[in-house]
Amino acid sequence: MAGALSLLVILFPWTGAVIVALAARRNPRWLHLLAAVFAAAAAAAGLGLLFYTGDAPAVTLSLGGAFGDFTLVPDGLGAFLAAVAVVIGSLAVIFSADYMRGEAQLGRYYFLVLLFIGSMCGLVLSGSLLLMFIFWEMTALCSYALISFYNDDPKAVAGGIKALVITQFGGVGLMIGVLVTRAALGSDSVSALLNGADSLPPELLSLIAFGFLIAAAAKSAQVPFHTWLPGAMEAPTPVSALIHAATMVNAGVYLLARFYPAFAGVPGWTTAVVAVGMLTALMGALMALTSDDLKRVLAYSTISQLGYMFYAIGVGAVFASQFHLLSHAVFKALLFLGAGAVIHAVGTRDMRQMGGLGSQMPFVRGVFIIGVWALVGLPFANGFWSKELILEAGLADGPAWAYIVMLAVAGLTALYSFRMVWMVFFGKAWTGRRLHDAPAAMRGSLGLLAVGTLTIWLLAEPFKNLLASSLLRHIGEAEGSVLLAVLTNPATLLALGVIAAGLAAWWWRESLTGVANRLRFIAQAAQADFGFEWLNRQVVIVTHRTAMTLRTTQTGQLNWNAVGIVGGLVIVLLVLIVGG
Amino acid sequence: MTTVLVVGVFGLVAIGLYGLLIVRNLIKIVIALQLLTKAAALAMVVAGQVSGQVNLGQSLALTVIVADTIVAVVGLALAVQVRRRFGTLDVRQLSTQKR
Amino acid sequence: MDTSLPLWLIGIPLAASPVVYLTGRLLLARPVICRWLTLAGLAAAWIVFAQVASSFSVEGDAERLIGMVALRVDGLSLLLAGVALTLGTLVTLYSYHYMAGETGEEKYYALLITLIGTMIGLGCAADIFNLWVWFEAMTISTYLLVAFYRQQPASLEAGVKYLVQSATGSVFVLLAIALVLAQTGTLDLDAIRAASPSLPLLAAGALFVIGFGVKIALVPLHTWLPDAHGQAPSGISAMLSGVVIEAGLVALLRALGALAGVTLSWGWLLIGFGLVNMLVGNLLALRQQQVKRLLAFSSLSHVGYMLLGLGIAVYSGQPDGAQGGFFHLLNHGLMKGLAFLAAGALLYALHSDHAPLYLADLSGAARRYPLVALAFSAALLGLGGLPPLAGFMSKWQIFVAGVDTQDVAITLAVAFAALNSVLSLAYYVPLVNALYRQKTSAPVERGRAIPVTMKLPLVLLMIAMVVLGLLPTLVNWLTEPAAAAMIRLFGGV
Repeated sequence: MAGALSLLVILFPWTGAVIVALAARRNPRWLHLLAAVFAAAAAAAGLGLLFYTGDAPAVTLSLGGAFGDFTLVPDGLGAFLAAVAVVIGSLAVIFSADYMRGEAQLGRYYFLVLLFIGSMCGLVLSGSLLLMFIFWEMTALCSYALISFYNDDPKAVAGGIKALVITQFGGVGLMIGVLVTRAALGSDSVSALLNGADSLPPELLSLIAFGFLIAAAAKSAQVPFHTWLPGAMEAPTPVSALIHAATMVNAGVYLLARFYPAFAGVPGWTTAVVAVGMLTALMGALMALTSDDLKRVLAYSTISQLGYMFYAIGVGAVFASQFHLLSHAVFKALLFLGAGAVIHAVGTRDMRQMGGLGSQMPFVRGVFIIGVWALVGLPFANGFWSKELILEAGLADGPAWAYIVMLAVAGLTALYSFRMVWMVFFGKAWTGRRLHDAPAAMRGSLGLLAVGTLTIWLLAEPFKNLLASSLLRHIGEAEGSVLLAVLTNPATLLALGVIAAGLAAWWWRESLTGVANRLRFIAQAAQADFGFEWLNRQVVIVTHRTAMTLRTTQTGQLNWNAVGIVGGLVIVLLVLIVGG
Repeated sequence: MTTVLVVGVFGLVAIGLYGLLIVRNLIKIVIALQLLTKAAALAMVVAGQVSGQVNLGQSLALTVIVADTIVAVVGLALAVQVRRRFGTLDVRQLSTQKR
Repeated sequence: MDTSLPLWLIGIPLAASPVVYLTGRLLLARPVICRWLTLAGLAAAWIVFAQVASSFSVEGDAERLIGMVALRVDGLSLLLAGVALTLGTLVTLYSYHYMAGETGEEKYYALLITLIGTMIGLGCAADIFNLWVWFEAMTISTYLLVAFYRQQPASLEAGVKYLVQSATGSVFVLLAIALVLAQTGTLDLDAIRAASPSLPLLAAGALFVIGFGVKIALVPLHTWLPDAHGQAPSGISAMLSGVVIEAGLVALLRALGALAGVTLSWGWLLIGFGLVNMLVGNLLALRQQQVKRLLAFSSLSHVGYMLLGLGIAVYSGQPDGAQGGFFHLLNHGLMKGLAFLAAGALLYALHSDHAPLYLADLSGAARRYPLVALAFSAALLGLGGLPPLAGFMSKWQIFVAGVDTQDVAITLAVAFAALNSVLSLAYYVPLVNALYRQKTSAPVERGRAIPVTMKLPLVLLMIAMVVLGLLPTLVNWLTEPAAAAMIRLFGGV
């Protein structure tokens, strides 16, 4: 059963992808319906898989040689993330029925979305590192193709290529790690690395650990690789919700959580993870605070929240990181889809041109506020529990400097979230146009996600049991009730106090203008992306300049070509005589 | 005797390469190629002599000459076409394809 | 094995060539005859190939003496013959409409089938002079194909550069052969291996590297390649890039294998050239606007990957790297063949005057030519090494072999190669983006329909690429013996 379900969870979306692609020229209504049916089937399979988890390979395909055995292992962690991918995926597909209505190239759109959903499930269910890497790259491919879905827009094309190149660059780290694992342990299965980490020479293990960290940071948009995520906002909004908020960007967090037991002992590794997470959380929040583009604010906020998850893994709170991943996937998908409904109605992403939309779109306002409630971490939305859990673990086990920063970021989160809600839904109405509230398919997706945001934390105990066998057996995390632990810890009050301070800062922003002016230089730095965007551009410019210079050697002159041949001979002779 | 031939091979190679590197007239470049292949044919003869298989060396040289004649014919045919289309045999003019 | 089989395998295409030409000349009004005769000749060759392959799998290497000339079928010959026949057949099919109505169609088909025959012969050559003869025959048959559009100044230019540089390389090979003969007194590849190391043999090795290197397009000998691949008829570009380069590589391996004992540096030399080729090829392609030239430059970097795998095998004496390298050779044949054929199909549809195809022309091509656009995108993404397409799998196999040597320098080389793959995406994917635009370019607007004979090869190649990506071990029967043969060439077991 587990084998069949773990195959189906990949094959349902892929079959759907192929069928949709073949039917691309038919009536668009059929495409919407077909895509939704296959996504829903995958969701059913994914939810079913939660009841059949096990640590043994459920599917094996032996290729041998350099390719080893391809296996699917539906353990608790993998099944949980696959379920997130298919459920949010099918909601995004249903949402698309309204959002993408009337768009051209729907066949390509649904092909890529469904291909992505299947690949994401494959990524988290893989029991072989090579297979994981293959799916890892496939998600990057889908992400690129969907970011630049509107190929006519140069910004979309640039964003897609940037995302692809940066995540692939990180992917090299993962690949080297996998290759070294294979060479040293003779197997590339996930369990071989987890069990054999102790027997590896320390320098090889560090190479693997930091290689994986680079890959994870690039995939999860962590400093210094985060620059691709804001650019990814050119994608259709359901894609942003699915890929760039709820699923693919979590792959990095997943990777680190999966291999935390193997890497925790590597000197400097946990500190590096904490530092990366902390810096990213802080910078993400600051950039969210200074951006006026609704989707970019959400993108920066995603970066910042992923930073929380990295931080959690760094301090050893692996369960908390996964709990926050779950919360974040639900509420951020809700926020993105809500933003999508707004953008669909208003026709712009600039928050300065919104304002006062609440009265015209009460439903969207309602669910959006629920999402923000969770993002800020107010009781008792799902984000409250998971964020408190992370902060408490950080206080107990992590370095004090990092905890203080993370606490402050909670306040910043409150500040930018309220700013966003205010600019979009309250304040002075900017447009006089009559706007429509979200249509039915959108409402369905939004409503379900809102309910999830408010209630999913009730499943904290079963969730912990689900992860117990795959994740916690190595680390033996806190016994007892998760929820009770949060409620009884005094640190919860401290965090709530900081959040309240953030809220107050927005409320009394008029009287804080003086402080704000003095902090202007930070805002300017944040708007300039703290220089990372500049760094990106420099790399591109230098590469292109080198290419242009090198191209002049292709003179097209026969005599110069002959010089190349004779020169080559001289070089080879010299090399052989000196080196041989 | 062998020494003279070896010097001859080197001399022909040197002249041929000089032609390839410096000369601009396409016909002359084909001639330079001919000098190079003749050097190679001579080298075959020398090699056959040195290794005590004179017949082998000579038959290899003949094969080389046959092949390089075909190359020369094709090269000259191209040169004729080049003269017709470009109006010149200067290889510097043959550089529309670059970068 | 029936020892006359290899003879038939080489003989059929070579014998078909004059038949095709003469029939074509006699029936100038009916060029369609040439197309069918060529296909018939290839079909006959396929039947022999199947027999050779099946008896090879049972009995292993086979040798046949014709007078003084020895033909030997080993894994390497089989691989080269397989790739040459596959691509050759598809290109013939593709040319059915692509070349229709060109003057000299009969010459085109006669030369094409000669090219296929000579490449199979090159794979079977057992002595070093014989190797050169096949190599030269192959090269001569491509001269006229590259400059086939002789009314076009650009193709003439490309033909001239190709001819002069190839002929120079060929002379270097001859000089190397003379050195080897003078030093060892034999031409047999196996017998040469027994010779003791000496400076002249080292020089001969260098001359082989450079001589064959011109054809393989090692940097800095590559300068003819973008012109030739860019200007040749697209089917020929596919052959040149997909098999001819690789035939040169096989020739180099055979020659260097004979000199394996002369120095330990051959492996490093190949790896070094591989790394330089990757980087230079990618950088030269990065700003290229002309689609076929871009694909030509990308061939440089793909040769680099093959050289890396083969160099690792030579260095470590293990067949894994060679298997990866040969798998990549095969995949590159499929992917680059597909890319050139797809680009050619668009060229056929958009420009009737042999004008070059620019990146901007591709805009919106997917709207009118969805199948071609899909095939082209698959080829490009496969070339960029994105899984689950075949190109990733062969790169992976090479990388695994590299890191398995546990040598730090080679691991660094592997990382460098992987980063180069990332760099190459920066010029492959903009083509894909252009294909899928909504806004169509002017040439696409008035483009003509693409006939099914051109689509069929595209579909077949695309399917092969995807299937090999999902089940990379399907071609082990070709790559494993080839790798074993190569290790034997270099004196291993």
